[in-house]
Amino acid sequence: MTPDGLLALGLLGMAAPAVPGIAVKTKSLLTGRRGPPVFQLYADLAKLVRKGRVYSRTTTLVFRAGPVVALASLILAALFLPLDGREAPARFAGDMVAFAGLLALGRFALVLAAMDTGSSFEGLGASREVTIASFAEPTLFLCFMALVLAAGDLSLSGILGTPLAAAWPHAGASLSLVGVSLFVLLLAENSRVPVDDPATHLELTMIHEVIVLDHGGPDLALILYGSALKLTLFGVLVVSVLVPRAGFSGPAALALLFAGLGAVAVAVGVVESVMARVRLVRVPQLLVGAAALALVATILQLR
Amino acid sequence: MTLIAVSVTMILLAGIAAAALARHPAVGELLFRVLFGAGSIAGAIPALTVLSAGTVPDVSLAPTTPFGPWVFGLDALSAVFLLAILSVGTACAFYGLTYLAPERGRRAVSAAHLLLAVLVASLSLAVVARAALPFLIAWEVMAVAAYLLVVLEHERRKVRRAGMIYVVATHVGTLLLFALFAIWGGGTSDLSFHALAAHPPFSAGRGGMLLAVALIAFGLKAGAFPFHFWLPEAHAAAPAHVSALMSGVVIKMGIYGLLRTIVLFGAPPPWWGWVVLALGAVSGVLGVVWALAQHDLKRLLAFHSVENIGIILLGVGAGALGVAYGHPLIAVLGFAGAALHTLNHALFKSLLFLAAGSVIHATGTREIDRLGGLARSMPVTTATFLIGSVAIVGLPPLNGFVSEWVVYQALLRGVSVGDAMQFAGLAVVVLALMGALALACFVKVIGVVYLGAPRHALATRPLESAGGMVRPLVGLAAACVVIGLVPIAVVPPAIRVGSLVAGLPAGTAGFTRTTAAGPATVFTVALAVSLVVAWGLYLTLSRRGRPAQAPTWGCGYPMPTPRMAYTASSFAAPLLDVFRSFAGVRTHRTAQAFATHALDPVLDEVLVPAWRGIRSGAAWLRHAQRGGLSRYLLWVGAAVVASLLYLLAGGRSP
Repeated sequence: MTPDGLLALGLLGMAAPAVPGIAVKTKSLLTGRRGPPVFQLYADLAKLVRKGRVYSRTTTLVFRAGPVVALASLILAALFLPLDGREAPARFAGDMVAFAGLLALGRFALVLAAMDTGSSFEGLGASREVTIASFAEPTLFLCFMALVLAAGDLSLSGILGTPLAAAWPHAGASLSLVGVSLFVLLLAENSRVPVDDPATHLELTMIHEVIVLDHGGPDLALILYGSALKLTLFGVLVVSVLVPRAGFSGPAALALLFAGLGAVAVAVGVVESVMARVRLVRVPQLLVGAAALALVATILQLR
Repeated sequence: MTLIAVSVTMILLAGIAAAALARHPAVGELLFRVLFGAGSIAGAIPALTVLSAGTVPDVSLAPTTPFGPWVFGLDALSAVFLLAILSVGTACAFYGLTYLAPERGRRAVSAAHLLLAVLVASLSLAVVARAALPFLIAWEVMAVAAYLLVVLEHERRKVRRAGMIYVVATHVGTLLLFALFAIWGGGTSDLSFHALAAHPPFSAGRGGMLLAVALIAFGLKAGAFPFHFWLPEAHAAAPAHVSALMSGVVIKMGIYGLLRTIVLFGAPPPWWGWVVLALGAVSGVLGVVWALAQHDLKRLLAFHSVENIGIILLGVGAGALGVAYGHPLIAVLGFAGAALHTLNHALFKSLLFLAAGSVIHATGTREIDRLGGLARSMPVTTATFLIGSVAIVGLPPLNGFVSEWVVYQALLRGVSVGDAMQFAGLAVVVLALMGALALACFVKVIGVVYLGAPRHALATRPLESAGGMVRPLVGLAAACVVIGLVPIAVVPPAIRVGSLVAGLPAGTAGFTRTTAAGPATVFTVALAVSLVVAWGLYLTLSRRGRPAQAPTWGCGYPMPTPRMAYTASSFAAPLLDVFRSFAGVRTHRTAQAFATHALDPVLDEVLVPAWRGIRSGAAWLRHAQRGGLSRYLLWVGAAVVASLLYLLAGGRSP
């Protein structure tokens, strides 16, 4: 664990709330509105942490622990991503399983917290969340598999860091497909259009927004920050695959990463402006489509 | 080996003590606890010695015994299974004392304790047997003891049916084992495992037949698809501690058999590895999809055993392919992952079954949709069930994650080697799908059973179970946590098992370093510590002001009732919709209610109709059996004439 790595992680953590902000701003501008400021989420978080807490009488410790476990596991997951394009603060063989496991642990905690309220709306959201995750997780591993093939390493630092840059010349087509597949995963895992609509609060269309209906104050702040961080982490995955940064010096690589994250956020905003949400029953098909792309990316590299 | 003999004897004595002192249950059960516990410890010592690179010499009984010497021995493979048997066996035996106590007047409870002791003793003997005959004897005693325990509540029709299905399935398996040893021995009189291992090389056909028979026989015991049909029936019918022991340990004997077959047979041909891998993938996905469709708590857990056998078979398949294609590291990792997941599944599945038994004990129902909000009245059961769930879903930092991580590594390493093994790597996707679906399933169980508000008014207010049932839960949960936190302590022994099965010398340091068990330990400990620290930080920072209490927000609806809460049927519906073509689900939908009902596609749609067909097709044979003496004489005469004609036509006389 290098001080540089942790510094980069700190910067990423500070920048995370701006990523959804950029997406919302893009969407607003494209649809002819002014929209909230890019840094709106910081103000929201500051307001929420100062508020008191209200808990439903139905809930137990599971409800209170949910947001904490969810955020803690996301922060730990961030440790495995090589932000400078070379080496992450933590790495070991097969750490992608730990990365996916941490995302799943966070989801498990949040979804159980939703079930703890006993509300049928939150049960609905929980059910949809785990349904979508059931298709997203295999897709994520298909992407990892294609990357393992390209980079010949078993850790995220390996498949997103230096070896990947070396693989671009001979596996470029395959890696581009993985990038697209990861972008679809980003949309699905972070409840963006066309899978979910983050702008609606009380429609039966929603997934992520409904499982946090009963959270308020500091709990909601943890969840909102966690969502922004998760979006950022998936953004880092996409940028790392599409823009290998091993050849740049540390600060330049980091600047490139943040520029890439901005571009990803803009892309999310563009998708939200030009597409409608697909029907829920079509979501698995969308994800299977992304999985097919990753599978093609894998097959392209099989000798 | 002396300690193993002591262990088995003490466990049997414990059972006898419980049965003999049935009139004085307090004394009998105290003696049972002491003897059983001491016996388990006595057996665990040599097992741990062997797993930490020690050796235990084989013992051989008188060489005049039929079918060669009766040899008993303990190697790393036996040791890991023995450890699972003894730890889970003890937890289940102790739990059973309290669980069955209310039935004392109505049932032969002390006989059940004796049978459980016999079951654990026969399991231990089966894994240390090193000759066909003692192995088969232990195997059969195990099957019969398990059957008698399954039908403990035999006044219920469903229980008798489940028992019948189980006993038929297990005996088909035993018959196939007779065939296996007969083919393997090929007429020699020495059927000790040493002799079997030293066989002259088989022809491809005979070797193939042998491996196929082994796969079916042990697959039946393990409950792998399509041989899983007996498993949910038997596990749902048995008392909770018996279900726990069967699901945790008895079905693992199938895995032991497969691994032992590889040890004795040597490198299996590639097709066998592919078949095992495919069976693992199909069992895994179908097991978890069927589990999602269940609304009976114990049947749901039973189908998760099918899923986890699938994960173990993925490991075995990857290992066998690694051997076949000459990738020692993948072979070792695959087998090591399978062995470790066997131990882990034994711990968390028995924990889940015992916790489920605790719920059934307290509420009198196994219908998930009738329960709800038990976390308030049964905190320890809820906490331990939650730990078991995190473990079975394979989430860090618990033990399920560690073993799945090893299996993942085997498959992911397969991806980047340059031969057919690459395609085995695709099983990674199946493993990920299983993990995500298992998460969905356990969110459903925990959410509907333990969280929220009670869906129905129960006859009595549920209370936390007595200490005798709670302590085994806590013990098993602690084991899951400890194994999860220190992969560095469990991966090297698992690697030792893997090297043994892969037929490699015991040097494991290199393999252990490649698996990164050390950094993984840092990771799991760091995760556990940061979860605790985050919780502490959150508590101190949000101490200001007491949190207010309010009802759950009903989205503006003024009078939400628990009847409106999400049910297990509704929760699983979107996923089952996607998998409906093979989930075997019947949907009942009315204006006010939605419910799904699951059938077993193999048992209800193939085996039972097939059996009916055979029975009605064979009905005409009854005409031959009318009981008249003259008719039987006619058959005898006809048979003699037919034989004479056969000989006259030039047939060979026997």
